[in-house]
Amino acid sequence: MPSDDRTRLARGLAVLRRVSGMPDYAAFLAHLRAHHPGAPEPTEREYFAEYVAARYGDSPTRCC
Amino acid sequence: MQTLLWVVVSVVGAVSWGVLALHRGETINAAWLVLAAVGTYLVAYRFYARFIATRVLELDPTRATPAERLSNGRDFVPTTRGVLFGHHFAAIAGAGPLVGPVLAAQFGYLPGMLWIVFGVVLGGAVQDFVILFASMRRDGKSLGQMAKEEIGPVTGMAAMLAILAIMIILLAVLALVVVNALRDSPWGMFTIACTVPIALLMGFWMKIWRPGRTLEATAAGIVLLLAALVGGRMVAESATLAPLFTMEATSIAWLIIGYGFIASVLPVWMLLCPRDYLSTFMKVGTIVLLAIGILVVLPPIKLPALTQFIDGTGPVFAGKLFPFAFITIACGAISGFHALVASGTTPKMLRREGDAPLIGYGGMLMESFVAVMALCAAAVLDPGVYFAINAPLAALGGSVDAAAETIRGWGFVVTPGQMDALAASVGESTLLARTGGAPSLAVGMAQIFAGAFGTHLTALWYHFAIMFEALFILTTVDTGTRVGRFMFQELAGHLWEPLGRTSWYPSSIFASAAVVAGWGWFLLQGVHDPLGGINTLWPLFGISNQLLAAVALAIGTTILIRSGKARYAWVTLLPLAWLLVVTLTAGWQKIFAADPRLGFLAHAASTAAEMAAGTVDPARGARLIFNDRINVAVAALFMAVVVLVVISSARVWLDITRGKLPATTREAPYVESGYAV
Repeated sequence: MPSDDRTRLARGLAVLRRVSGMPDYAAFLAHLRAHHPGAPEPTEREYFAEYVAARYGDSPTRCC
Repeated sequence: MQTLLWVVVSVVGAVSWGVLALHRGETINAAWLVLAAVGTYLVAYRFYARFIATRVLELDPTRATPAERLSNGRDFVPTTRGVLFGHHFAAIAGAGPLVGPVLAAQFGYLPGMLWIVFGVVLGGAVQDFVILFASMRRDGKSLGQMAKEEIGPVTGMAAMLAILAIMIILLAVLALVVVNALRDSPWGMFTIACTVPIALLMGFWMKIWRPGRTLEATAAGIVLLLAALVGGRMVAESATLAPLFTMEATSIAWLIIGYGFIASVLPVWMLLCPRDYLSTFMKVGTIVLLAIGILVVLPPIKLPALTQFIDGTGPVFAGKLFPFAFITIACGAISGFHALVASGTTPKMLRREGDAPLIGYGGMLMESFVAVMALCAAAVLDPGVYFAINAPLAALGGSVDAAAETIRGWGFVVTPGQMDALAASVGESTLLARTGGAPSLAVGMAQIFAGAFGTHLTALWYHFAIMFEALFILTTVDTGTRVGRFMFQELAGHLWEPLGRTSWYPSSIFASAAVVAGWGWFLLQGVHDPLGGINTLWPLFGISNQLLAAVALAIGTTILIRSGKARYAWVTLLPLAWLLVVTLTAGWQKIFAADPRLGFLAHAASTAAEMAAGTVDPARGARLIFNDRINVAVAALFMAVVVLVVISSARVWLDITRGKLPATTREAPYVESGYAV
């Protein structure tokens, strides 16, 4: 697959993740490295656990 | 050029309304409904939403949003407007806008259509936009927190109690919709039963096996789900398997109650989160498919504009056009529940202040359009068929033959042969008295899809529609139970501190059981109700949802006045006043109306009379009377809470306008945005 097709695919998948409220580990790492360089980086497994716990916490994420 | 375009849009919208209003004939094309709705939405978005954005709320493009200031890569994430629009829409749209319009179609298509379109433009979209704005300016605070800070601690507590009570009624009525769609339907039951192992598999996939690979797991889940849908037909046709999945309403209700409890105490990644992903994709996909179907087929609307049931004698639910059309359709016109999402995940994702009108106002317009499509799907059915599916068995007279006779008495035509053939075409044994809206919506959708994509798949389309509704209703049941559990813990923590510890296992179990027992009780009441339950519970749900909207609008008005915008307070006061009139009238009638079909007290009295006459079994009669009393208490509680919130808000409004209280509000301080243009 040519590389710009690949980035387009990656971008498309990122949109799907964001729309459906899924975690986006790559974007999280990019954020961490840009804003808190040197901070400890959770693994994908740890990030997933934290994200899901925060999202399905005490406020409704879906309506009737 | 711009002006010309808007003149054209306005004229198209106005002409479509004219056609709808003046048309007298057998059928009218759905295209007129679509054009009238879309034309109105565009004009409202261009002019009214912009007026609210620039004059009333004074959005500031240079001001940084919480997503920008507090960005953390988890919940605070600056998100481009197109993506956030999708996210917000997927969060607010659910079963509500699909079911309400179908039920309200007993009045004809016109009342529902008018309320859905004008209610959203002046009410629902305004509420969502104002609350989204208020939360965005306050670091994404929740509705309850804003009520506490802007009005007072008692109002904050009252609002939380109202939200919990509403959640319980909401979950009960939605679960009842699923029960009515799945009873005696092995195909539907099998497909929905399969969603549980599929979700577990997805959960293990993305947590243990391939951590974080959510899209991959969801894709696999969707494939398996569609396989289960196709497999359902084989189960239904198999002599050995079909009886295993043919269940009566009470057993299904108990299964859902057990499921809700387990889903609430299990870790979220196991069941709740994968189901959420699955249902989100199915939901958005199906809504897009329905829009394509309606736009391709442009089906004729067979339901009359108005039926004789506007006088309150309708079989689907009791009560006159006013106020019950405005209660039955809550979501799609105005939904208080949205205020919870608009002050939850969405405000933490807005990239720029200027995106708020598209997300808040525009997102709700989109949900309203879903409601218009649901109305179309119900209205493409023959009116006789519509009433045969949606009226309770007791009102129809018990059998297919009696039903045809009863419906002829109402002035509509349906033959027993027609109903049998329709049931056979969708792979069901019967469609008679499948109340709750979902089955008739599924039949309508199946007809539309069959028109767009070919008739040989009608049965599959019907079960696809049932599956997708049941899937996201059950997702609401488990997420709702969980949220209810946290609210219960917060409230109970005020009584006894350990109950408030969300990480303490016994407290979680106790709170989950309490919430499940709450909605489970109403669900079972609905299942045992001789009139099918939807009759009683849907209006109660509508009242509660509209009252939550009234609470949200009272908070919105307070924030406007506190921000020194008293001269624009009519923007939220107008829909608030309307909702108060509608809901308090409806609540009053549900309690005190003399007609036993409508009033709880009258129903209790007539049941007592029947018991005295010996025509009702005493144990059963006592239970019915007890249910009536509980319903009275719930309706009275809702009304009391909303009156309390509005009075305490009004006191703040008056104090500020009289100069007794300074017009100050607790916005987060201004920080300049890096995204500003």
